Amino acid sequence: MDNSELQPIFDFMRKLAPFDMLHEQTIKQCCKALTIVYYSKSQKLVHVDTNEAQLYIVRSGAFEVSTQQGELIDRIGEGQFFGFSGMLSGEKVVNQVHILEDGLVYHLPAKIFDQLRADCYQFDRFFNRAFAKRLRDQGSLNRSAINTARITNIMSKQLTTISPKASIHEAALLMANHRLSSLVVEENGQLCGILTDRDLRNRVLAKGLDGNTLVTTAMTKDPATIETDSLIFEAMLKMSENNIHHLPVMSENQPIAMITSTDLIRSQSSQPLLLIGQIQRQPDLESLIQVSQKIPDLLYNLISSDAKASEIGRILTSVTDALTRRLISLKQQDIGPEPMRFCWLSFGSQGRQDQMAGSDQDNALILEKETNEQEAKYFKQLSEYVCSALNECGFPFCPGNIMAQNPEWQLSLQQWLQQFSQWIKTPDPTALLHASIFFDMRPICGDIRLFEQLQKSVLSRTCNNDIFIAAMSQNALQSTPPLGFFRSFVLERDGSEVKGIDLKHKGNALINDIVRVYALSAGIEEVNTNKRIQSLIKQSAIDKELAMNLLDAWEFIAHKRLINQGHQFDHAQTVSNYILPDSLSSLVRHQLKDAFKVIYEAQSTIKLKFLRQF
Amino acid sequence: MFQQWHLQYKLKRLINNTKSNKPTHLKTHYQYLLTQLHQPIVNLNLLALDIEMTGLNHKKDEMVSIGVIPIINGQIKPKYAQYKLLKIQGSVGQSATIHGVHDRDLTEALATSEIIEWLLQQCQDKVLVAHHALLDIQFLEQALLKLGGPIQQLFAIDTLQLEKQRLNRKNQYIKNGELRLNACRERYHLPIYSAHNALTDALACAELLLAQLNKMGGLDNIKLQDILRKY
Repeated sequence: MDNSELQPIFDFMRKLAPFDMLHEQTIKQCCKALTIVYYSKSQKLVHVDTNEAQLYIVRSGAFEVSTQQGELIDRIGEGQFFGFSGMLSGEKVVNQVHILEDGLVYHLPAKIFDQLRADCYQFDRFFNRAFAKRLRDQGSLNRSAINTARITNIMSKQLTTISPKASIHEAALLMANHRLSSLVVEENGQLCGILTDRDLRNRVLAKGLDGNTLVTTAMTKDPATIETDSLIFEAMLKMSENNIHHLPVMSENQPIAMITSTDLIRSQSSQPLLLIGQIQRQPDLESLIQVSQKIPDLLYNLISSDAKASEIGRILTSVTDALTRRLISLKQQDIGPEPMRFCWLSFGSQGRQDQMAGSDQDNALILEKETNEQEAKYFKQLSEYVCSALNECGFPFCPGNIMAQNPEWQLSLQQWLQQFSQWIKTPDPTALLHASIFFDMRPICGDIRLFEQLQKSVLSRTCNNDIFIAAMSQNALQSTPPLGFFRSFVLERDGSEVKGIDLKHKGNALINDIVRVYALSAGIEEVNTNKRIQSLIKQSAIDKELAMNLLDAWEFIAHKRLINQGHQFDHAQTVSNYILPDSLSSLVRHQLKDAFKVIYEAQSTIKLKFLRQF
Repeated sequence: MFQQWHLQYKLKRLINNTKSNKPTHLKTHYQYLLTQLHQPIVNLNLLALDIEMTGLNHKKDEMVSIGVIPIINGQIKPKYAQYKLLKIQGSVGQSATIHGVHDRDLTEALATSEIIEWLLQQCQDKVLVAHHALLDIQFLEQALLKLGGPIQQLFAIDTLQLEKQRLNRKNQYIKNGELRLNACRERYHLPIYSAHNALTDALACAELLLAQLNKMGGLDNIKLQDILRKY
């Protein structure tokens, strides 16, 4: 052991993202380079020395970053950072940092910070994302600006080079072996030029030269280049301005990578609209499976661009909807048009438009009338194909078998109406379980009038139906949110301690349940929790303050859930809804606790309102 | 006011008595203290120190390890943190279970005389800071005595005393264990470190001092003479 090593600092830093991605030796060097400063509330502001930039790492305490005009940009707690914007943009920071709670802050000199960014691409990416988020919060970058990512995120890690004195034959062989369309021509670490497919065609083959021609005669000399810290957007601009497809990426005057127009196109392809467009164009299941592998990337990009959780849910669901429709139409090309009117329904998270990673499928069919053997066979073929295709595309089969391929859920409109009225008349536990899934229904494909008839009839039966609503309320109160945190545990209301929180079942699902009770009682057609709340407010069917708090709580918990999933994705862990309190800063713990409190209050309110209980 | 005169008087006397700067750097250290007495802490160099020992009796027990970390102008500098092991006569014995230093670790240890030399060099332009400084100072003074020469007196800022005064001022009854390093840190919401490594404790003490001084009115208001004590 190095005797002068400070164990507590090292222990803290090695668990701190993005430092946790660095080599142990590098972390130790960071620890030595830090200075530790104590900030007290009585000082009010952190004096940020603009001439000596540094990264501020909060070890304890709480801080608030705002613009000079006093507009809030960020709140920062334990394990978070400030002071990096200036180092990334090279501009002087004019933000103010207020001290909310006394605490220790580690200062990391700019020189070390820059070195780490240059050496570790994930480290750099971490801060560039945080920076992009800040900018957006300041309003200087709007949400549609998707091209703020740096080229470091997309360029390939390996650089294949060739000497100018090599032969064209060697170069072509190298390109063929590495499946490359271009090479960087380099001598003693200095860039001499680039050699592309087009150069081989235009300067060698077209001129009748042979394979012994030297690279130096065929290459493009003095190519346009781009610096490693450029934005993807800037690379696009440079390529289109110069009408070229290859750009060597330079760092300290040395080529470190090659970026191609294909890289740029690929980097944009996980955008939702493009993805949906691709889905609509795919000719067969195999290629659809291929395309749907980009859905996790889309989710990840959306998370890192810090979109609202409710928006992410809607975007992801629209991708699933498009996929479902494309699958139905693919199968219909095969087995012909439907023998009678039908409507493909989705339930659960797809119904509510709040799908996230790993959502399973919940779907069913409404048919115009009861089927004969022939017709039944048609819908069996169609639904079995679509359900298993969805499964292969990453939407696992529903464990409760609530799927269109299950004959139990291929019902005629008449049968659906009977089914619903039975659930509503005798709300036993199974009926209520079904109700919580089936009442969040949305038409995906087919004849929408079938759905409308069903929904209208169902709502007319639930609206002001005291007995049914009371049973639904009872059901929504089965589970309560945790009370908060105690040390590294989650504290349940009964005083027991558990290790992690299931943000879905102890958070968002509880809010969905509460809002569903309100919506069914008021006869509201919307199924998306967010939209249900909006409609409830419009109809004055809910206390406005409670409603707004529920909206905030839903968004906050869903956002945390997504961030957590993004983190899991980043660290190649299984994506789940579980979050460990240890991974939360004290500020987030407080906020989560508040969100749980809102849920608990809302549960108390429905108890009073629909169950007449105190 | 009286304390200030007393410190000045003591320091001047020590400087006059400490001829030829022997042991090395001690006179320089006294001179530094004397000239800085009226300075606010933010302008000073401090050296937070912690010593692990085989026991609590300075007459009988021995020092095992020393950790130091400087505070320069109110900023703690891990870069200059140092940790030294000491050669001892006996065995670390049962005390190993507390500070984690075992006999086998002591092969690269320095002799007490070398350690004193090194420490005095470290603090020739710095003020010593320790938690429960009395204990550390007793061991250091004992070591100086063993090196021959007249009885030397050392000065330090004691974070335990500062905490005790603060609690007394608030008329709080101090319960057993409430002045321990981690207990004090908890009162300032400082992170809790596993204790009893000399360097970790020196860091913990340094951070505690900054927190205390901020509560007492800030590093630019508190002067050295307000908090320095003679041992």
